[in-house]
Amino acid sequence: MNSFITRIREVAKREVDRMSSRGLYILMVLILPILTILFFSSLLKEGVPTKMPVAIVDLDQTATSRKIARAIDVTPLSKVTEYLQSETEAMSELRTGNIYGFVILPKNLQTDIFESNQPVVSYYYQNGFLIAGGLMQNDLTLILNTLSAGINIQKREAMGQQEDYIMSQVQPIQLSTHQLFNPTASYPAYITTIILPIMLQLFILLMTVYSIGIEIKERTSREWLHLSDKSIVIALTGKLLPYTIIFFLIMMFQNFMLYKVMQIPMHSSLGWLMLGSLMFVLAYQAIGLFCVGLLPMMRHSLNLAAFYGILALTLCGFSFPIESMLPIFRYWAGGFPVRHYMHIFQSQILAGFELRYSIVSYLYLLIFLLVPLTIIRRLKSALIYQNFIENVHKT
Amino acid sequence: MKDSNLNILIQISDGLRSLPRIIMREFQLIFSDVGVMILIFAVPLIYPMLYSFIYYPEVVREMPIAVVDMSHSSDSRQFIRNIDATPDLKVTASSVSMEEAILMFRNRKIRGIVQIPETFSSDIALQRQTTISAYADMEFFLYYKAMLTGTSFVALETGNQIQIKNLMNSGLTGRQAEITARPLKFIDNAMANQSGGFASYGIPAALILIIQQTLIIAIGILAGTTRERHVFGTLVPLDRKRMGTFRLVAGKSTAYFTIYALLSIYMLGMIPEWFGYGQSAGFIGLVALITPFILSSIFLGLTLSVVFKNRESAMMLYLFTSIPLLFLSGIIWPISNFSTIWLLVRDIFPSSNAIFGYIKMNSLGATIFETRKEILTLWVQTGFYFLTACITYGYQVNFSEHLRGELSMHPFKEVRERIVSGQ
Repeated sequence: MNSFITRIREVAKREVDRMSSRGLYILMVLILPILTILFFSSLLKEGVPTKMPVAIVDLDQTATSRKIARAIDVTPLSKVTEYLQSETEAMSELRTGNIYGFVILPKNLQTDIFESNQPVVSYYYQNGFLIAGGLMQNDLTLILNTLSAGINIQKREAMGQQEDYIMSQVQPIQLSTHQLFNPTASYPAYITTIILPIMLQLFILLMTVYSIGIEIKERTSREWLHLSDKSIVIALTGKLLPYTIIFFLIMMFQNFMLYKVMQIPMHSSLGWLMLGSLMFVLAYQAIGLFCVGLLPMMRHSLNLAAFYGILALTLCGFSFPIESMLPIFRYWAGGFPVRHYMHIFQSQILAGFELRYSIVSYLYLLIFLLVPLTIIRRLKSALIYQNFIENVHKT
Repeated sequence: MKDSNLNILIQISDGLRSLPRIIMREFQLIFSDVGVMILIFAVPLIYPMLYSFIYYPEVVREMPIAVVDMSHSSDSRQFIRNIDATPDLKVTASSVSMEEAILMFRNRKIRGIVQIPETFSSDIALQRQTTISAYADMEFFLYYKAMLTGTSFVALETGNQIQIKNLMNSGLTGRQAEITARPLKFIDNAMANQSGGFASYGIPAALILIIQQTLIIAIGILAGTTRERHVFGTLVPLDRKRMGTFRLVAGKSTAYFTIYALLSIYMLGMIPEWFGYGQSAGFIGLVALITPFILSSIFLGLTLSVVFKNRESAMMLYLFTSIPLLFLSGIIWPISNFSTIWLLVRDIFPSSNAIFGYIKMNSLGATIFETRKEILTLWVQTGFYFLTACITYGYQVNFSEHLRGELSMHPFKEVRERIVSGQ
């Protein structure tokens, strides 16, 4: 037993030596992951987009139309940056990308309101962008409805109706919207909490494949196996352990950024957070190991890992909900640890639900650890016989 | 003077003659490398299809919600039926308690809760204002949006009907009542992506990004492989004949440009047509935008390729940029809210402007003139990265030249022995 641990320590020490021999290692395990964490926490630090540029086409030029324009300007989301002469001009500005939306206040707006002719106000917004389009639509619809109700109220006041009565008439049904659990968290915060693990899994996957693949490519695998007493378990444990520790620490730094710096509410204990993070790192190391065992030639296993890692963004279901996808993709999504990690995060950490709602996700993460067992013999023979090396004719 | 003029002429004619050779050699390199072939052909062919199928349903429809009906009246039942009738929402459980609804939410059976107050029916009868509460799931923007769109639509419409009914009871005609209730009429015009389909948001950006990323990684992989194959790890072969910098850059670029111009027809022409994404852009407009985009991506790739010492370096060190670049393009988070530093970083990569330009042209029907900012920036990037590519390759050419000069001083036997002994 003692020699077992000594062996592992020796292999781990050999790996740390290898890591310090090339700049690529330092970049992949430290510099690039930390840079991406800083990038995303800086890019999405604001809660909601503010002051998005919109234009007004005021064809009426009266006190009423100017009042409406001002009301649009003072909403926190939009800012009137341009007053334009015609719809054509505004449409061109929208296509150029200078504004996200515009409102057309028609001729005779004021007169039509007074004479109860129900004038028509059109608004246009760029819906080619998911968040900007959705927010723009909500904002413009809301502000114009409020203005319309305001006119209704003014007229009723002129008729001498009581304030309470007016409100009950103008808006018989009021809608109050609440966010279920964690009303303080903003949408960008949600994006960051999912995007950061997705970025990290790319680094873990590629690094795991590389650290093993390079031994085959550069024909050092026998030496490595020899140091491990010819045991593949010792060899792999010793090799991957340093990365487990480093990536776990990166993940904890990431958590620190999320829950301390960005102040995303955390409703679970530090222990569970650490356990979830550790299982996340291990699950992805297991998948990286599977890739390189399946295709021991590193050029192919790296391609496989990259293909799988990039798909996580789409199939983890944070952009587009899994439940709305075709059935085949729903099952496929289960094959991504980040999907289960996301579930744990949403249920246990963010909403503070009891463990029993997320325990299944922990079990799924455990299952990923068994995946490498299917290729371990194949990998060992590749390490011994080095039969997956391409012949290079140097010139 | 005359002599140097003649020299330049000889160089140019020499260069033109060796250009086809360099182009063919680059094609040979690409087509004999399975890994690069997969990257250049399989990825651009398969990914757009795969993404289109994953996002096939496009929108969130019939999101399951629970209604906590405390009123138990015909009014509240009608209200629930109206919510159920919206395309966004589907009431899978009504007449449950709030506790039951929350439990269902925790088990992910439902994605939102609507609460109707006990006094709902009597409030309406007594002409008092009543309040409906909607509890939305903030985890997914699309769920939040579906909940908000569905409930606010029903609340507004029902409220409007009640108001009109009250007004008509007080003696107004139907038309008068309607105008009093709604003094202004609105027309909501969603531009670019009318149906709000998710694939139409994401796929145009993904298409552009795939072009840039596969190009840069493929160029990097080939450069790393070349270095591994050369005995002294040089990027430029130690040929007897000097390879001009300009013809090297031009030759390699021509090979990549040919391949990607053809791929673009499939990715930006056929895929949008098959899957029904916006396709308002004309052929000439797209050519005006995509030409500088492919060129600047190639030159950026050639510039970056000198840092990739090994075959796998490009995949390891560059792949991760794909996700940050998607955010930097401004399709997810509006660029009007970017800080200056990220706006500057955004302009380093051709994809940012190309994605913006492509969405504008293809979904909004912007003309070349309206896309001038993006097209101009892409040409500036093309020029800049062409210079950097020439500088870096010029350095590599000189280095090989220098090395060859050094080697020629030593007898062939000695050189061979040193190579064999691995020094």
